[in-house]
Amino acid sequence: MGGVRSAGRRWLAVTLGLAVFVAVAVVVRSWPAADDDVDAATLADRVQDSVDRPWSGYVVSQGTLALPDADRFSSVGDLLGEQTRLRAWWRGPDAWRVDELRPAGEVGLRHEGALTTEWSYETGIAEGTAERYRDPDVRLPRTVDLLPPELARHVLAGVRDDEVSRIGARRLAGRDALGLRLVPSLPQASVRRVDVWADAETSVPLSVEVYGDGDDPVLSTAFAEFDDTEPAASTVAFDPPRGVVVEDEDVLDIVDAVSRFAEAVPPRRLAGLPRTRDSAGAVGVYGRGVTRVMALPLDERGAGPLREQLALTPGASVTPERTVAVLGPLGVLVTDDGDGDGWLVTGLVTPETLVRAGRSLTPSWAFTTTAAPMTTTGGTP
Amino acid sequence: MTEPVIRTAGLTKRFGRVTAVDGVDLDVREGDVYGFLGANGSGKTTTVRMLLGLVLATRGEAEVLGRPMPRHRQEVLPQVGALVEGPGAYESMSGRANLRLFDAMGSAGPAGGRRTRERRIGEVLERVGLGGIDRRPVKAYSLGMRQRLGLASALLRSPRLLVLDEPTNGLDPQGIHEIRELLLELNRGGVTVFLSSHLLAEIEQMCTRVGVLDRGRLVLQDDLAALQGPTGRTEVVTDDPGRAASLLGDAVEGRDGDRLLVRADDTGTLNRRLVEAGCRVTLLAPERRTLEQVVLAASAGAGDRRERAS
Amino acid sequence: MIRVELRKLLCSRRTWVTIALIDALPVLVAVLLAVTGVGPRPGTGPAFLSAVLTDGTLYPLAALAMVVPLFLPVAVAVTAGEAVAGEGQAGTLRYVLIRPVGRTRLLVAKLVAVVVFALLAVVVVAATAYVVGVLLLGQQDVTTGTATFSGTSLTTPELVLRTLMSLAYAMLCMLGVAAIALFCSTLVDTPLAAALGAIAVLIASTLLLTLDAASALHPWLITRYWLAFTDLFRDPIFWRDILRGIGLQLLYVAVFLGAAWANFTTKDVTR
Repeated sequence: MGGVRSAGRRWLAVTLGLAVFVAVAVVVRSWPAADDDVDAATLADRVQDSVDRPWSGYVVSQGTLALPDADRFSSVGDLLGEQTRLRAWWRGPDAWRVDELRPAGEVGLRHEGALTTEWSYETGIAEGTAERYRDPDVRLPRTVDLLPPELARHVLAGVRDDEVSRIGARRLAGRDALGLRLVPSLPQASVRRVDVWADAETSVPLSVEVYGDGDDPVLSTAFAEFDDTEPAASTVAFDPPRGVVVEDEDVLDIVDAVSRFAEAVPPRRLAGLPRTRDSAGAVGVYGRGVTRVMALPLDERGAGPLREQLALTPGASVTPERTVAVLGPLGVLVTDDGDGDGWLVTGLVTPETLVRAGRSLTPSWAFTTTAAPMTTTGGTP
Repeated sequence: MTEPVIRTAGLTKRFGRVTAVDGVDLDVREGDVYGFLGANGSGKTTTVRMLLGLVLATRGEAEVLGRPMPRHRQEVLPQVGALVEGPGAYESMSGRANLRLFDAMGSAGPAGGRRTRERRIGEVLERVGLGGIDRRPVKAYSLGMRQRLGLASALLRSPRLLVLDEPTNGLDPQGIHEIRELLLELNRGGVTVFLSSHLLAEIEQMCTRVGVLDRGRLVLQDDLAALQGPTGRTEVVTDDPGRAASLLGDAVEGRDGDRLLVRADDTGTLNRRLVEAGCRVTLLAPERRTLEQVVLAASAGAGDRRERAS
Repeated sequence: MIRVELRKLLCSRRTWVTIALIDALPVLVAVLLAVTGVGPRPGTGPAFLSAVLTDGTLYPLAALAMVVPLFLPVAVAVTAGEAVAGEGQAGTLRYVLIRPVGRTRLLVAKLVAVVVFALLAVVVVAATAYVVGVLLLGQQDVTTGTATFSGTSLTTPELVLRTLMSLAYAMLCMLGVAAIALFCSTLVDTPLAAALGAIAVLIASTLLLTLDAASALHPWLITRYWLAFTDLFRDPIFWRDILRGIGLQLLYVAVFLGAAWANFTTKDVTR
């Protein structure tokens, strides 16, 4: 009995077993994706059209932007600065469900018609309520915007053919996904590129990566599981548990509130970007696709804390007229008209664009439509 | 013809660079009480562990009860009872509970019904003199009691071969005597006993065959009777050793008080010569070697030990 | 041999003392919650804990979420670390092996015993937590019904079934720790060192999970999916992490039990 030799053999058997397992895992993971020679513009159109395709899946998104923790905007900070795990069921744009998975609960959105019900497990159980909102005209980003299909359609909206190109396919969630690269041509753009991978079969985007100046995406979102069968209506609908009352709420978030109740009127153009139809009431939305700016008027109670938080952000620049912070490609600016009121201007634009927008907005706070004259630079359409 | 119960060929064990056991060829036959003698650290315990499949040999082969070990330990070990380097028991349980556990272990599982098992445990406890133990946990036992319990555990399966490593450790003289009687009784019942010890006297009193291990090598292995065979000299005790010595002249090879060691071809002639010369012979016997002498002679280079031994 | 190991486990006073100690934490927390009535803020604290003030029948799950991250695995590591090294130290290992008990069989029996220990601990914790929860904490029928995380109602049989599944999963999650501690136990001479070895792996795993730089390793870390039993309380049940958790534990068992086997079956037992 060669004790030593047999020990070696047994260790070898165990090591071999592990090696085989690792090898299989590596092969499965690096299995090449089948590509398709569809051109970029067609693929971009197909992505836009895929909004009616039903699906369900599990999405993990990772944001790297450290937004200031300002009270009424904190939900955005979580979305853009942390990992978010989402389960979603999509029957169509009028019937969907998105659950944000948390270790000790869930915050879910159920959309039916023009109403969205928000269910938060822990507060829901403690207070016995769920909240229902009509769909606002403008609002802060929500979990649903992190779904690759929604995010992709958002950044590809109004995209020009010369801005998109094809990149190699990938395997995502066990499916072949065709690559599409968007390089924004607007000079105001702070985003260098956006990579989108859309399911080869259904054209539903499976992954979106947004790049600023760095080599790593500032925001990436991808399906880890994807199923292209239509989810049941009962899965999507919200049937409140026993003892829970659904309460209709009037105002969704601060943007919704401002758009409806603030008296200011946003200018037609801001920093060379035209106002879009997404604007509503006092809130102006400018630009197209990924290069967008939102301007909303805030009173002292809203603007004050935001200014303080912004000023604490590393690299923030503060003058009496405005406070600016740049977080990767995202710029945030709050103006000050002297008595604490001011405009919040934020979007994926360059700092120069932001400052220009701020300067043009400051004297316009008390006025209405005819804001300070705009000088357009660059060849924006 | 007695069949070999333990046979090893070139059994060798190295721990790193240290060779603990070096080419040992053991030969233990059925019915033997085999004394495995060696100083502490001479490799006895390692050899015993190799026989039981606890330590795997670096080289060489071992057969126990006619089967190679450790490959056939599942068939061999159920017929072997062993006590290796002190007893071991679950401290927080009573002795009886310990035996119940050990009885239930093994591939065969507990043999017989509950009552049979309890009776068997009662019997072995009685045998080793622990018939009266109570529910106290083993941690309250003395070393002697533990030793007896270990022996009881070794006897549980009515083994054909008992391998005992220093079984009388921690026992008082009375206990040693009892255990010796028990082992001899078992041996008379057909059990082969392999007894490893560093105590010469213990081996000499009990064993029929002896193997001597010196620094990992088996330096001697023979029947005790053969080892203690006559030296060819005769031991003579007379009332007048001086006269006897001068009478016998060169034939006297040693003198120790009244004792003379005489080389003589025929003790009858020697006796007559002495008596005729007027010496009263009180003892006349062939000289035999003691085991101690044999061991010391075989264990080469152990000069310092000789001084202590005599 | 499995029967023998189980008998040893169940007859040992230490088993029950350990389980009682594990059990003490949830009971203490329940008493504090009942006395003060202050639950953790939503979104903080262990899963279910903020919900038990209104629904005491969820307390077994809250208790599970409390003991799974630390108490239970440490107890399992100590028990499994005892397996071979402990027998060696007590001097019983050689007598067990010459009964004869096959070495592989001994390892498997030890693992089974440790798993039974984990099961026992989980069941005792859940049972006492249920009693304490119903006696001291909220009654479900006064306020809301029992709901899943996703906001669907759970009937009592469903709740019981999912709770039992959670218990089974929590027990399964201890397999990996048990296998690692068992392997360490064949490697070192003292049970303490073996337990510490396994606990060190747990701490390293917990630490790496908080580190973004190690994200490539995360899916392979032993503690990664431990709290995934909460996914049983989503609707539809979210199986992804649970299945991965089970697979990962089985992988750990295969690797470390294999390593323990390779080491122990060819090891010289010199103690």
